[in-house]
Amino acid sequence: MSKNKLRIGVYGLTGCAGDQLTILNCEDRLLKLFETVDVRSFLMAKSDNLEEELDIALVEGSVSTRSDEESVINIRQRTGSLVAIGICACFGGIQAVFTEPEEWAKQYEQVYGNRSVSSNAALQSRPVKAFVKVDYYLPGCPIHKEQFLALLSRLALGSTPEFHRAPVCLECKWQENDCLLNKNVLCLGPLTTAGCGAICPTCNLPCVGCWGPFEEANCWSEWNLLLDKDYDRNIIMQKMKSFSGTGFIQFFNTMKKERT
Amino acid sequence: MINQASKTAAIENPFLPEPARIVRSYHLIEGVKFFQIRIVDIEKALSFRYLPGQFVMLSILGIGEAPFSISSTPSRPGMLEFCIRDVGRVTNALFALKENSIIGIRGPYGNGFPVETMQNKNLIIISGGLGVAPLRSVLLYSLDNRDLFKDVTFLYGAKRPYEMIFRDEFLRLSKRDDVECLLTVDHDDTGTWTEKTGVVTSLFKYLAEIEPGETYAMVCGPPVMYKYVIDELLKFKIPKHQILMTLERRMKCGIGKCGHCAIDYIYTCIDGPVFSYWDVIHMRELI
Amino acid sequence: MKVIKLEKKKLIPFLQFISQERELWAPVKKNDRIIYDLIEDFTCIDMNTTRTLLPPKKVIIPQQFNMFRVTGLGYESDYSHAVKKILFGIHPCDIHGLLILDKLFMQDHPDPYYIEARRNTLILGLSCWPDEHCFARSTNTHIIREGFDLFFTDLEHSYLVWVGSSAGDDLIKLKPEFFEQKPTDQDIQDFTYMQIERDTSYKTKINFISMPDLMELKYNETFWEKMGRACLGCGSCSMVCPTCNCYNVIDRHLISEETGERRRYWDSCTLCEYSEVAEGVNFRKNCADRLRLWYTHKMQAFISKYGKASCVGCGRCLLTCPVDINVLTVSKSLQGKDVYAYWNRLPREASDDKSSK
Repeated sequence: MSKNKLRIGVYGLTGCAGDQLTILNCEDRLLKLFETVDVRSFLMAKSDNLEEELDIALVEGSVSTRSDEESVINIRQRTGSLVAIGICACFGGIQAVFTEPEEWAKQYEQVYGNRSVSSNAALQSRPVKAFVKVDYYLPGCPIHKEQFLALLSRLALGSTPEFHRAPVCLECKWQENDCLLNKNVLCLGPLTTAGCGAICPTCNLPCVGCWGPFEEANCWSEWNLLLDKDYDRNIIMQKMKSFSGTGFIQFFNTMKKERT
Repeated sequence: MINQASKTAAIENPFLPEPARIVRSYHLIEGVKFFQIRIVDIEKALSFRYLPGQFVMLSILGIGEAPFSISSTPSRPGMLEFCIRDVGRVTNALFALKENSIIGIRGPYGNGFPVETMQNKNLIIISGGLGVAPLRSVLLYSLDNRDLFKDVTFLYGAKRPYEMIFRDEFLRLSKRDDVECLLTVDHDDTGTWTEKTGVVTSLFKYLAEIEPGETYAMVCGPPVMYKYVIDELLKFKIPKHQILMTLERRMKCGIGKCGHCAIDYIYTCIDGPVFSYWDVIHMRELI
Repeated sequence: MKVIKLEKKKLIPFLQFISQERELWAPVKKNDRIIYDLIEDFTCIDMNTTRTLLPPKKVIIPQQFNMFRVTGLGYESDYSHAVKKILFGIHPCDIHGLLILDKLFMQDHPDPYYIEARRNTLILGLSCWPDEHCFARSTNTHIIREGFDLFFTDLEHSYLVWVGSSAGDDLIKLKPEFFEQKPTDQDIQDFTYMQIERDTSYKTKINFISMPDLMELKYNETFWEKMGRACLGCGSCSMVCPTCNCYNVIDRHLISEETGERRRYWDSCTLCEYSEVAEGVNFRKNCADRLRLWYTHKMQAFISKYGKASCVGCGRCLLTCPVDINVLTVSKSLQGKDVYAYWNRLPREASDDKSSK
């Protein structure tokens, strides 16, 4: 392998491996990709993996165990830049739903009791950024092929990836859908980062937020709008929590304060 | 199918960049680089006409496009010069490019300084930091056409001596007697600075009496600078519409189509980037 | 202008005939929504729709398209969106919308992507009946006298057809036997009654006369802040507006491809990224400021420059904004009227730091 090629590693922490699978699903373009970059490590795709210095590490999954933590720290130490891929790596994903330590501890006790787990202790699930510096985020559940290729191409050019910074609603309108919120459906489109192409609303299903919180998400307005539409606050919270991981934690904290 | 779109449109495509070569590039100060760029097509390079204060859009393949004000003078055609700070995606990529690399250029855009209206008037050019980028163009233009203007005054403030862009060029200028060139730094921590110290407004006290109606002032610098400089200029009783400033906005087209540079009801890219103080006090969000 | 007559049952055969060498785009119902679409099955055309979800601007300037390809050292324009089209079923307000876009895209520094598509698109207008959200009567865009090649006015059993251009006349000449050259006295009477009745059917009314002054005088009114607090920042208002023209571009050169491209897509000034400059500096960090820009453009700037509002009364924003920020509620607020809207009853966050952010 040529020395000038970008050295890449693809890793999975706790997650469904769907993002790695998406990369493999690039099919015919994957071959070209593998010619252009030097894939040093990609456990799902090949067996001769070299755990050495990298230019780019693509990390999927949240940090949910001690060994996750160790791997991600190790990867960070030997890579130029680190990209969190998928909602779990970016925000913690579904497994980070218990964002409050007390809640998590209670849950842990229910499952494991007092037994001590020595080999690979579970941690409260957190996004990668809670442990190491993350250079770029590629959200999605799973990630989008086109976005992945665009990101990698930019990095290969030595530049920074760039995505259209908008909520799902924008793409939803491009797809010419009626607004589900206007039909009183609990849709998280306005709170969620675009990139999926609004596939769910296009099939008349509400957005569940799998691309993660949009940077400018107006939780307060959406929350009250849904209350206005007679949704129960627990239901709203459940929906907002399911994919956002630690993303809306600040909002939930202010809501707690508001109640007291 | 018969129905196929044509490859060429009825009008020339103003969005299509023209290949241009980075002829020279080097650091002026830390984080700021100087670029000399020439359009590859020699005829187009020589016929590229612009006004001081105008800007162009520079493209880097696969990375993006951004607006940059021209630092060279149209009185020296063929070569375009830019003074660029490394602040974002496109500038990062520009900084990484080697000399002889090809980039894309289109333009020039914007209104530029009203050099014809300013003829036979006094010019006061006041810049701070990187604000010198567009003002160097009008400064060099006035020097290349020295007999078209009355007194030319150039005030330039930088934070420290080694943060003064084009320092040697301007130090040479300060020795000339057909232009009043006053340079200042906020702090001299080198101990070798021979010019003035203090903020740029402290230079006003060295200015001779001026006829305000016969004077145009041009200002560009960091946002904090404007208020103080304009206060000084108003003290000199320079009419508000003769105090000119050039502004920066996000732009995607350069020709009033994409909407990104809109401020109230004007587009920075076609109605600006040069505005008078009179314009500015009528528009919110301007500086 | 020449006015001729077409029997209703002959319309579809006529459309079929004239679209042999052109794409025909018309309103159709797809999964419960009415959209402009490329017609393959002519029986699907929705002749009675009030409005489509996206305005017809999408037929001229698609939501996203490639501006040019980058190959080696050169750049190659891509006008593949600008194939020959017929746009049928476009209502007067939407034709006015295109005329406004013409001003923005075709005057000073013309945009070839718009011009090329516009030049290749024939406009076949169709009369319509207002619903409770239409206010084209208030914007004076309920009637159209220019900007179409043919205009079909529905008179129950037949259409009166206005021939607005020589290209439109050429279309008629393809099937002259379909048309009657002279409307009858009865047709004229029917048309007159229809117009009067239609005129009085606009229930939503907005007075635009003093808008530019009110925009100026009420620049700091608290309702802007209230709207800013409620605005979801979704950008839908811009997407559905027939006169919104803003766009953004993104460069792409995939390592798996030989050529790169610059992609252009619809943008909205209500998005945070819109006004950001280098180093994350944003001139309009506040949502209220961004909304104010949107309305300044429509109801002040455009009026100052062109003498009329950049709003055609199509009512799309009324139906789209989930939090009731639209031309109607904004203009009512400007006029100091009480407004029943979600944004007006949204409580302030106890720990409200939105405005200070």
